[in-house]
Amino acid sequence: MTPVSALLILVALILYILGQLFLKHAMEDDLGSARFKKNFAVGLSTMTVSFFITLGLLQHFELSYLYPFQGLSVVIISLLAAAILREKLTPRLFIGAALISAGVVLVSLS
Amino acid sequence: MIQKTKKLLLNPWFQLVLSVLFVTTSEVFLKRGAVEAPRLPEEVNWTGVSGLASPDVWYGILFVIASFISWLYVLRFIPLTIAYPLSNVVHVLVPLASWFFLNEHISVQRWCGIALVLLGVLIVAKPVARMEENL
Repeated sequence: MTPVSALLILVALILYILGQLFLKHAMEDDLGSARFKKNFAVGLSTMTVSFFITLGLLQHFELSYLYPFQGLSVVIISLLAAAILREKLTPRLFIGAALISAGVVLVSLS
Repeated sequence: MIQKTKKLLLNPWFQLVLSVLFVTTSEVFLKRGAVEAPRLPEEVNWTGVSGLASPDVWYGILFVIASFISWLYVLRFIPLTIAYPLSNVVHVLVPLASWFFLNEHISVQRWCGIALVLLGVLIVAKPVARMEENL
């Protein structure tokens, strides 16, 4: 793995996570408001860019190599939703998220 | 009857179930379509664009769009700390569907990973189910 591909994997993951957070934030808003349109557009764009970076990475790497990074998104999204969107993250929810992340990583390693 | 259907469709938990079922269906269609698609020369083949010649790929795309719409509805009502972990049940459903419909082999280690994901999903879902009963 070159530094460039490592960077691209990281960027794709960050953009995907940002996309989920922005879409969530948008959907809680009044659907006619300007703020909704802005957040929705940002969420949809970051997700689209992430999708195409991932598609490009798939040319060079096995899916199973890129999959674990996707698995990490569960824990990271839960933590960021609690930190940024002020959602309630109980220990139970966090343990569930951590098990799912571990499971996805294990699935992809086999 | 119509009232009941409408109530069900407006239920965000039902939409979450629909969303993961749509994702799973789309994956099976996309895989089937990608296999049937004509192989183009190596220089252009990586984009997967030749897949568009297969109707299965188009069904797959329709299901992707449907799952995204359901997911947006879910986001309006369910916290991300609950909805996102639960949506990862696709990592259980997709391997099961590939095994059942596409006759793919699943290794022991992969079954263990699938079981771990399922356990995590159940841990997140259980207090939610209790919460819903009390409503």
